[in-house]
Amino acid sequence: MKGVVLFLLVFVLLPFLPLGVWRAYLLDAGVFLLLYTASALSWDLVARTGQLSLAHGAFFGLGAYGVGLLEPHVGTLPALLSGSLLAGLSALLLGSVTLRLHGLYFAIASLAFSEVLRTLALKLPFTGGPIGLPVPPAFGGAPLAPYYLAFAVLAVAVGLSLWAEHSPFRLAQAACRQSEPVARVLGVRVVRVKLLSLLLGSLVAGLAGGVYAMKALFINPYEAFSLGRAVEALVIPIFGGLYTTLGPLLGGVVLVGLEQVLRLWIQEGYLVVYGAILILAILFLPRGLMGLWRRRRG
Amino acid sequence: MARVLEVQGVSKRFLGLKALQGVTLHLEEGEILAVIGPNGAGKSTLLNVISGLLRPDVGRVLFLGRDVTPLPPEVRTHLGLGRAFQIPTPLPELTVRENLLVGALFGRPGRSRKEAEARVEAVLELTGLAAKAEAPAGELTLLEDKRLELARALATGPRVLLLDEVMAGLRPKEAQEAVDLVRRIRDAGVSVLFIEHLMPVVRALADRVVVLDYGEVIAEGPYEQVAREERVREAYLGRRA
Repeated sequence: MKGVVLFLLVFVLLPFLPLGVWRAYLLDAGVFLLLYTASALSWDLVARTGQLSLAHGAFFGLGAYGVGLLEPHVGTLPALLSGSLLAGLSALLLGSVTLRLHGLYFAIASLAFSEVLRTLALKLPFTGGPIGLPVPPAFGGAPLAPYYLAFAVLAVAVGLSLWAEHSPFRLAQAACRQSEPVARVLGVRVVRVKLLSLLLGSLVAGLAGGVYAMKALFINPYEAFSLGRAVEALVIPIFGGLYTTLGPLLGGVVLVGLEQVLRLWIQEGYLVVYGAILILAILFLPRGLMGLWRRRRG
Repeated sequence: MARVLEVQGVSKRFLGLKALQGVTLHLEEGEILAVIGPNGAGKSTLLNVISGLLRPDVGRVLFLGRDVTPLPPEVRTHLGLGRAFQIPTPLPELTVRENLLVGALFGRPGRSRKEAEARVEAVLELTGLAAKAEAPAGELTLLEDKRLELARALATGPRVLLLDEVMAGLRPKEAQEAVDLVRRIRDAGVSVLFIEHLMPVVRALADRVVVLDYGEVIAEGPYEQVAREERVREAYLGRRA
């Protein structure tokens, strides 16, 4: 809990710190770090029920397209909320059809779902096809607006995650994850718990995608519905520590930060080094950074 | 006495295998009923049909006079049908107390957190798990696992408790303790249907016995009477040449 508060404090104060020549760069990279971390935390919220979602890239993309299509007409915040709701609706649709499936079957269904959405974005008459859509900046271009919006999205994700961790919902999620038949015989409404978790996760991922669109100022189907985004959303919690709030936060800072640093240092092939570090982490940190943290505290 | 549970003409096939064929039985309020039979007789399938993890191909399950056949297991639990599994299935990442809390919180809609916690304390006391309350459920001995299995089902607050070989693997003294525990549970107002292989346990505990063989009910009655029946002896010992 202390770690989570400290984390939020650092990022809320970042724009006020004397960062000198690095300020512009850090605030820029910070937007993406906050958004990817929020998306990762929202993935963890779903993973806590034992479901491996590969649809988080799709929720992110729906949020982005929602904003791209609506912001010119309704303004920043209503567009952001509509994009998030769009992602939420799609999650309810996906979930009500597939959440009776277990583990890997759900993963495959959610992957197919992402592919369908990308194809739709490519083919529908109003999405700009393969070229994509221009997106107006948030609040008419206020310089720190994307940063604080991204922070707000992360704060929402943290709030939901802490609620899920400290309420009876944690036990319901844990029971679903560890054994569905046992959970059901103990009275847990398994499908409902999984559906609610997926809905919450998709709403947050949709918000993150919407802010991303306002920051990137241009979206296309390959970027918005990329499998890479879905994979990143699951790599960060695994690296940081699954089924916790702090784990994905730490994972997000370290991994997104690492990617940025490596990109600056080693322009060609930085992903090779990034991949090697991930492999080492999986070999030597089976419970992620949180496992390391707990071991050191005894 | 009222019938709290009725199984009417239940059949269940797995591909070609007839696991249950026209099984009809009932459980009276306050009764302890044993379902026995050789391995593969369909006992666990029967419990899965009663608790809702399996749907019967034919037949109905009535619980407290209500047809629950189309209802999923969690809703049957909410109505007061508790179930302990044959192979202990603790939720290993939770503590013993949290395992019970899952049952207490979600086993009955509308139970407050306080009521659920009080219920968990009472069940921990009753089942002798109080000293292990904070232990991770993945690190228990077999005996403790079995107790947890029973305790968790009790935590839901059942009117009827289904027990699937909860005594298997226990030493005689431990089995005796378990028999006493099941009696106390019944005296607290819970009707019990249990599956068991250990005949001394069946004899000590059951008010009435139902014998299954190849998915069919072949005998029913008090233990002494059932044990004398030729068909039962054949089912267990094989036909005399």
